[in-house]
Amino acid sequence: MKFKKFMRSPKSEDHKKASQNVKNVINTEVEQTIESIQKHTDHISDVIFKKIPTEEGIVTLIYVNSLVDKMTMQVMIFIPLANHLHQIHQVSEVVSISDNAAIVSKLMGGQTLLYFHEANLLESIDTYSASTRSITNTETESTVIGPQDAFTESLETNISLVKRRIKNTNLKNEDLTIGSETNTKISILYIEGIVNEENLETLKGRIDKVNYPSFTDISILKQLIEDNPLSPFPQYYMSVRPDSIVHYLLNGRIVIFMDNSQAAIVCPTSFLEMFISIEDYYNRWTTASLLRMLRFFGFFLTIMITPMYISALTFHPEILPYELLLNLQESRSRVPFPPLIEVLFIELIIEVLREAGSRMPAKVGQTIGIVGGIVIGTAAVEAGLISNILIVLVATSALLSFLPPIFLMSNTSRFVRYIFILSAGAFGLFGQMLAFAWLITHLLRLNSLGTPFMTPVIPRKAGDLMDSIIRFPTAFLKGKTGISRSPKK
Amino acid sequence: MKEKLFLVVIVLVSIYLAGCTAKELKVPLEDVGMVGVMAFDYIDEDNLKLTVAIPQYSPEAKEHTQIFSVSTDLISKGIVDIESLSDKKVVLNQLRVVLINEEFARHGKVEKSIQHLYRNPEVGNKVLIAVVKGNGEEMLKGKYPDKPNINFYLNDLLQPSINTAFNPNTNIHDFIYAQTNPVFDAIVPILEKKESKIEVEGIALFKGKNMLHSLPKDEALIIQALQGRKKLAPMNLTLSNDSKGERLMMDLIDSKVKIKSNKNFDTPKLTITLHIEGTLVEFKGERENSLKTVESTAKLENDINEELEESISDFLKKLQEFEADPIGLTESFRMYYKGEWKEENKQEILSKLQWDIHVNTSIMSTGTLK
Amino acid sequence: MSTHKQRPLNGYHVIFLTQSAMIGTGILTLPQKLSSLGYSQAFVPLLFGLIACLTMWPMIWLNSKYKNDNLFRINEKLLGTWIGKSINIIIVLSFIIFLAGIISDYMNLIQTTALTEQTITIPVLFFLLLLLYIVSGGIKSIARFCIITFFLTIPILYFLRWSIEKGDISHVLPLFNFNGTEFLNALKEGYLSILGYELIMFYYPYIENQKKAFKHALIGVWISIILCLITTLVSVMYYSEWQLKNIEFSVLHLFKAGELTFIERIDIFGITLWVFLILSTVAGYLWTAKKGLDSIRSKETKSHDYIITILIFLLIILPISQELLERLFKLSNYVVYVLIIWPMFLSIIHLLRKKQVQP
Repeated sequence: MKFKKFMRSPKSEDHKKASQNVKNVINTEVEQTIESIQKHTDHISDVIFKKIPTEEGIVTLIYVNSLVDKMTMQVMIFIPLANHLHQIHQVSEVVSISDNAAIVSKLMGGQTLLYFHEANLLESIDTYSASTRSITNTETESTVIGPQDAFTESLETNISLVKRRIKNTNLKNEDLTIGSETNTKISILYIEGIVNEENLETLKGRIDKVNYPSFTDISILKQLIEDNPLSPFPQYYMSVRPDSIVHYLLNGRIVIFMDNSQAAIVCPTSFLEMFISIEDYYNRWTTASLLRMLRFFGFFLTIMITPMYISALTFHPEILPYELLLNLQESRSRVPFPPLIEVLFIELIIEVLREAGSRMPAKVGQTIGIVGGIVIGTAAVEAGLISNILIVLVATSALLSFLPPIFLMSNTSRFVRYIFILSAGAFGLFGQMLAFAWLITHLLRLNSLGTPFMTPVIPRKAGDLMDSIIRFPTAFLKGKTGISRSPKK
Repeated sequence: MKEKLFLVVIVLVSIYLAGCTAKELKVPLEDVGMVGVMAFDYIDEDNLKLTVAIPQYSPEAKEHTQIFSVSTDLISKGIVDIESLSDKKVVLNQLRVVLINEEFARHGKVEKSIQHLYRNPEVGNKVLIAVVKGNGEEMLKGKYPDKPNINFYLNDLLQPSINTAFNPNTNIHDFIYAQTNPVFDAIVPILEKKESKIEVEGIALFKGKNMLHSLPKDEALIIQALQGRKKLAPMNLTLSNDSKGERLMMDLIDSKVKIKSNKNFDTPKLTITLHIEGTLVEFKGERENSLKTVESTAKLENDINEELEESISDFLKKLQEFEADPIGLTESFRMYYKGEWKEENKQEILSKLQWDIHVNTSIMSTGTLK
Repeated sequence: MSTHKQRPLNGYHVIFLTQSAMIGTGILTLPQKLSSLGYSQAFVPLLFGLIACLTMWPMIWLNSKYKNDNLFRINEKLLGTWIGKSINIIIVLSFIIFLAGIISDYMNLIQTTALTEQTITIPVLFFLLLLLYIVSGGIKSIARFCIITFFLTIPILYFLRWSIEKGDISHVLPLFNFNGTEFLNALKEGYLSILGYELIMFYYPYIENQKKAFKHALIGVWISIILCLITTLVSVMYYSEWQLKNIEFSVLHLFKAGELTFIERIDIFGITLWVFLILSTVAGYLWTAKKGLDSIRSKETKSHDYIITILIFLLIILPISQELLERLFKLSNYVVYVLIIWPMFLSIIHLLRKKQVQP
């Protein structure tokens, strides 16, 4: 190879000799630089150093094998290196030899460094081509109507999924790198002219202040930049559906993507939006309204049903019909626990079932579900551990808790239910109402990026009510919602 | 930051407290005996016999109802006494029926006893009151082989289903209301135990603090019609004028009453207009086969009107004799009276009262057969 | 919080702050308080509404002269620091007692209906903690809570259906069947139920659109008055005069008339839901008392909230004789009555002083 090259381009020996001195000096420097890079990438076995002779002398290629694809290397580096070197210079970017930090970070970002020994020049070319998974449909937020594609774990793919839906130069994406250890890339998307600048500034300020070493998923970032991190409620919307992200972008919200995480954050958002599925906009308005009501009131039912059982049985037997009460008395006659413990017991069993089911492989999970649900349920009643009416209530409330389209919200409803159960156990209906008042107050005091979380309930503008629990026909919904505080109406 | 801390504190404290209350020992539902029926029997001026029926849920027990009986002078003391007899905590949360025996109704402290229940926040409003002919305790202890539970039996019997709607279905609010409103006198259904059945026999008319008289069922229907109830029980009539005891049965669909006074307190006079609409269900008599034309129906309607006017008038006369008024006829005088309306005002008006009764019957159909 | 704005209260907030502060425990006992009028009480709330409008006008007028000051500051400005401060102390003290009165009334009611056989110490503690949580969010958070409260509790009106069905509208006649002393008696007893609108003197500086504040407050007042009117009207229809006089919590008994197949006793449900109304009323007063303490001690700290709450808690819990407590509550009521007339007095001083300055 080396020989061939000499043969093909016989350069004048004189010239070569004249520059010999200079070359020696350079050579030692080159050696040093390469050594220092080697030192920085010590014990990283997939960092490759490859010397290749070219027209412009020897070039050392440095790259991380696991971040680049062989095909890409071939097309981007090897072929141009052998044939049209000028191409490399056109696309590459010069890196200062002394800036070790930059060198390493570029290497770890999947770029290939080309070190031209003769010119003592370090250049980099982006060859990041780690294998990604292809776009598939979503498992967690599937809908019947509407597009089926979902985000993947690749930032580029995700942004592309958004950009192919909004063909507009006003759609901006700003890239940032966060996390002192993981150096994770995030991208903030918004549409200029629709987004509220103040919100954008607040969000950027918050992201700047984030001082957290490592990010494995965007939900970590989400918890760090929420208004009230102690609250059980998620204050930002999260979705893996490009269409719902685009919907909110167009409404003037800000969207954050993170490399290597599937979901995107939308902020600000409101309590009610936690119960809105993008499918509502594809359905007829009547169906959509019905479903929304179901989800919204389902949330309150799921936190109220089992506490109601406790308060009725322990404190206010008079609120139940006589016949039902006698049934309850009969079914509870052998139950050894007070109602509070009884409810906590069965709720915990449900939690265990759910948790166990979600960890198991699908086929086993199903079996366990049946075993848990039917066998434990029936057997517990038969054994007189739990009253059968409670089983019905707990099952209903467990089902209801899955109604919100956002999984985080359904987790929240489970947690909040325990607060209600305990307060019902303490003071009956009065305790429940106190807990409810707490819930309301808490929700009222929550903010999502500075905007009240309960917005459509206390509307910022009348139009918001058209897209709340009842979704009006689509023609009414042209405006931006008040929570976006969009400068455009 | 403080408020967030606060939230955490609330959660922690509530967990702690819920733990505490479990220790505090609330009586769980299964250890509570919920009294369904209560009966007062007269012993003497001061004492009464208190009987309660508590439904028994345990499938092993032979009897479905526990019945306890004590004699006492105070109701609440009686309850405490019963508690010592019972294996459970006795509560009045689900009290449904209060039975008063006739003697107690006539001589005992009815109003006071009912007021005691009315005041108790545990007791709901759905407590129905009934007078028992004979002995309340016996009625509770009686055997009703085809009924699962005396509690439900009595409650269902007194509930206003359409066919028994003639019973005035008096709950404790209604009773206290009628007792304390100078315009009204209370009425309460009368029950009688007949072998293994209980029958609604008629109604008891109260005056002042005690029961005055018992009235038959048909008159109860008149009271209800005049009180303005929209939906009435089926009415059976025997036409007495010129025909020979024709009998008919009408299902009443709608009834409207208008009572107007002449606002004159010296010569009080009422104009009562009663509209009733109904379908003719059954007819027995001469005209049975000729009721096909409009004219014949109109004739029949006329006859019914006259018959009803007469019986209403008779009933009002009877009330005048009793000096009691369950209908609230004098309300239309009170409306125009300045100052406080008292029992005496009612008596005065009632004694001088004259009336004009117009009944308008319309028979909507006579059935589907021609 | 988004309440960085100087004047965070918009029109809706004012409407519902005024409205919620008026509806509390008072309305539960209103028909009984007015029972000296017998059946003629039905339309008395309308009269109360008129009085409320008349007395509110000087409040707003005075406040509009001092756009950035609440009544505590105005007191100090007009009467001098010392007199002003001592009057403020009286106001704050009476508010604290007033608060304790409302809360202990309600809690006793809860104890007799919903939490029988239990001491109320711990429920009171929780109630107060929740109250603190609401109040610590500032006046805007209170206002929002009031709005939610209104819409959450207004469906209770549906439960009156059965009592209206059973009731007799003819009870309303004859109108005005009472004499002067009876009326004055009813006014004295009953007007307390609709107190609460005077709080506008304290949150006025936070209102965004002060020119329209009077209008908004009036809307709030009339919403409450209509609710009171419905209460008295239905009570009159449903009860006999004896019952009106002897049933203390007539609204509760109105709920008892309800018949739902799955909930037998609506009154318990209603009375526990009432906690929202109590919270919204009490939150306004607590916030005001806190502001008062701030102005007396001339500094703003959160601890004032805690101090006041602890005082209230002690007042309710400590074994003070019931008689003394009653007397204290009565006294605080009178102070609040005086507070309604107070702005007229202050207005006169304001005019006099202006004349002093001008010539």
